[in-house]
Amino acid sequence: MNAHLRANLWLLGLTIVLCSVIYPLVLWGIGQTVFTEKAEGSMITGAKGEVIGSHLIAQPFTTDEYFQPRPSAASYKGEASGGTNWAASNYLLRDRVARQLGPVVKYASGPKKGQLAAPDIEAWFQKDQYAGKPGIVAQWANAHSTVAQNWVKADEMNGNYVTAWQKTHDVEVAQWKTANPDNTDPKPEDLAVPFFTSFSKSYPGTFPSAVEHKSPDGRTEKTVEPVKAGTDIQSVFFDMWTHEHPDADLEKVPGDMVTASFSGLDPHITLDNANWQLDRVAAAWAKRTGADPANTRGEIEQLLREKTFAPLGGLVGESLVNVLEMNITLQGRYQKSAGGTVF
Amino acid sequence: MLQFQVWTLPVLILTATTALAIPLSRYLAWIMDGHFAPPKPLTWIEQRLDTGAQNWKQYAVSLLLFNTVMFVFGFVVLTLQPVFGLNPDGKGMLAPTTIFNSAISFLTNTNLQHYSGEQHLSYASQIFFVCWNMFVSASVGFCALAAIVRALRGDARMGNFYLDMWRVVAYIFVPAALVMGILLLADGVPMTLHGGASATTVEPGGMGSNDAGQSQPQQIARGPVAAIIPIKHLGTNGGGFFGANSAHPFENPSAWSNMLTVVNYCLFPFALVLMFGRMLKKMRHAWMIFGVMMSIFLAMTGWAIYWDTLQPNPGLAGLPVDQHLGNLEGKELRFGTSAGAAFAAGTTAITCGSVNCAHDSLNPLAGITPLAGMWLNCVFGGKGVGLINMLLYLIIGVFIAGLMVGRTPEYLGKKVEAREMKLAMLALLVHPILILMPTGLFIASDWGAKATNNPGAHGFTEVLYEFSSASANNGSGFEGLGDTYGNNDNPNPAPYSPNWDIATGLVMLFSRFIPIVAPMALAASLAAKKPTPFTVGTMRTDTLTFGLVLLGTIIMVGALLFLPVAALGPIAEHLGPTPFGG
Repeated sequence: MNAHLRANLWLLGLTIVLCSVIYPLVLWGIGQTVFTEKAEGSMITGAKGEVIGSHLIAQPFTTDEYFQPRPSAASYKGEASGGTNWAASNYLLRDRVARQLGPVVKYASGPKKGQLAAPDIEAWFQKDQYAGKPGIVAQWANAHSTVAQNWVKADEMNGNYVTAWQKTHDVEVAQWKTANPDNTDPKPEDLAVPFFTSFSKSYPGTFPSAVEHKSPDGRTEKTVEPVKAGTDIQSVFFDMWTHEHPDADLEKVPGDMVTASFSGLDPHITLDNANWQLDRVAAAWAKRTGADPANTRGEIEQLLREKTFAPLGGLVGESLVNVLEMNITLQGRYQKSAGGTVF
Repeated sequence: MLQFQVWTLPVLILTATTALAIPLSRYLAWIMDGHFAPPKPLTWIEQRLDTGAQNWKQYAVSLLLFNTVMFVFGFVVLTLQPVFGLNPDGKGMLAPTTIFNSAISFLTNTNLQHYSGEQHLSYASQIFFVCWNMFVSASVGFCALAAIVRALRGDARMGNFYLDMWRVVAYIFVPAALVMGILLLADGVPMTLHGGASATTVEPGGMGSNDAGQSQPQQIARGPVAAIIPIKHLGTNGGGFFGANSAHPFENPSAWSNMLTVVNYCLFPFALVLMFGRMLKKMRHAWMIFGVMMSIFLAMTGWAIYWDTLQPNPGLAGLPVDQHLGNLEGKELRFGTSAGAAFAAGTTAITCGSVNCAHDSLNPLAGITPLAGMWLNCVFGGKGVGLINMLLYLIIGVFIAGLMVGRTPEYLGKKVEAREMKLAMLALLVHPILILMPTGLFIASDWGAKATNNPGAHGFTEVLYEFSSASANNGSGFEGLGDTYGNNDNPNPAPYSPNWDIATGLVMLFSRFIPIVAPMALAASLAAKKPTPFTVGTMRTDTLTFGLVLLGTIIMVGALLFLPVAALGPIAEHLGPTPFGG
């Protein structure tokens, strides 16, 4: 037994020295001397030497001037990577994609070719008829209770709006309580379905959305109110609208534009996706710089071509563009002439 | 064009790996047969470890003793994380049940992770716990196989466990990992002891603003990643430095690193089959096994690519989305079009458990591939243990074929009798029992029902996948499952995460050691028998016919055990309504 004990301790000690001291030290030494920048995470530095991102990690962009990366389930947090882990059969996936599409989708043919579908979605929504029955919002909440509950949880304002409704609608709340005897202390989101059902009756053709007001002292305040139009309606009800309009010929958007990666940090988009965003990006810069829109578009298209690469020389994948690198190039090229600061 | 891109990647990988595995197997056999005469200082080390030639019981006891040491050491390192040093981001202590789970997970070569690397582990834990365990746990399976091979070829003793361990770690894994580490460094995998970086976003306010209206920086976690990734794959471990595992750009920066990764995790399982042939001096037999494994491997890869890369995500049907690249939810773009599906097939057949896409988001039928890889657990399989599992199927195949033609079943010239069959069945049945029973228990109670991230049949598959992964010592997951407690002081852990920690911990433990020790006993029992002379009446195990018998045995046994749950999970999801529920 002593021999076993000795051998075990020797093996433990020796493997620790070899695998956890010598081996990582050698790699660390090589990394720090030969591959200095890569070993630190391929960071990009700005004019003042500050870190402004990593070549390998996606960074969020929201304004029209910039190419936007793929959606991120990790909110682009470089310290907490992760995906949605949603199955094809999970409605949350379809809902997220539909919401992203609604405000941006255009007709592919017909008299409205090239125009946004969004105004038609709003007009349809205001008529408040789905599957031959009135009450789009009520039908939506009943079919997709998880999504309706998520709306309540998404913002404190929304929760407060439901709580305020709860105080004045004893009948509906009592009905819900009879149906759910186990839940004696319902949270606002538990009441999402009865809330939307009742809302749909009280305010047909509208959806509760945040609206900005200027208060007398000049500050902007947000309140939740029934609205007839806007991004919320275009996005939330796009999926239902497509069901009612199966013949609408819509332009297809590139798949990677509406799907999230598993890391949430995928730094690339496909060239198709970049080209889809090109009009918006070029128009925004042309507006800021006052240059000719067609020229700007041509310039940015040229930049895209220069930045495009394909995995293993195209042997295994599509042409891709690194979003952060592309946007830094755009900023360096146009920000100065637009009067902004270049880092 | 697209079709061509989809198939080039798997073809490139399999060709390259097979070509590398042939010379590697020669080297492995040379080392394991003790032909390498190391220089003086290394000889001195070997003398410290060599306690003499061991019989199967002594070898098994040594193996279990050292695994106990591994458990204690791993548990201590993780528990001391807050005070151990090398902790620039100030990570706290994990929950005790998670430490228990992780210590077992890494010593069993599973690397099921109920934590997220960049959020919960310090650099010291990554190097002294993760990295060390990856080297030694991979070597344990390797040594078990070597011992079994020695018994099968009729050696009087099985060798010495401690000496074998050292040889595998020092002469095989460390040199290979160093080479790979340098290649990965060159491709952009970080290797730093600095804490996470804080980046000022290019678009002000891109990451949101704080209450004072100042733009938030983007925090970017990094660390000594390049030390972990080589052995993570060479040792078919699969535990990621980051939560997103090999999908994270720092673990896997490009299509090139992705290809290296797959070659890495396939390399040793391929080479071990050939090493088996070389040590036994029965190359024809080894190539027969290789062929059977490869045919299942190809079928599973093709299935996954067909259903995931060449089909759209059915959840988005009717929406104006161009899905000609297949299901892109949970996929990274830089690896190539079919890289996610091909990786999912390989990582589960090989029992690596590394992932480069969200298995949870694979199209329903494509999800069968990773599940089947773990259920069969012998399609190359993990380091050593995959081939050991295949030996069990071989014994059963020989037995069935023997019954069919009315001969005493023989394997490698030794009679297969009641004792061998009992041991083979014990080792084989542990696996389905440890998958199906806990799955039933968890799915019938809130433990499972409250942990799923997806509704309906897919939620069932998440639970099933978790136990399949634990029992196959794989470590990949349908990661939506809520099994993470996080730090000990986390106020909002996933409900029932301690139940998941303990249950999967026990499953990993039993399904690691029973299928290692029982086959050792089996091999020793065969070794003790008189060889029967080879005659014209001997049933040969190196022919195409026997290969087909073996293939049939694997498919029949696998299907009998697991088809019912496959029907309840992925098949029901495929046939059922999409989307399911609200």
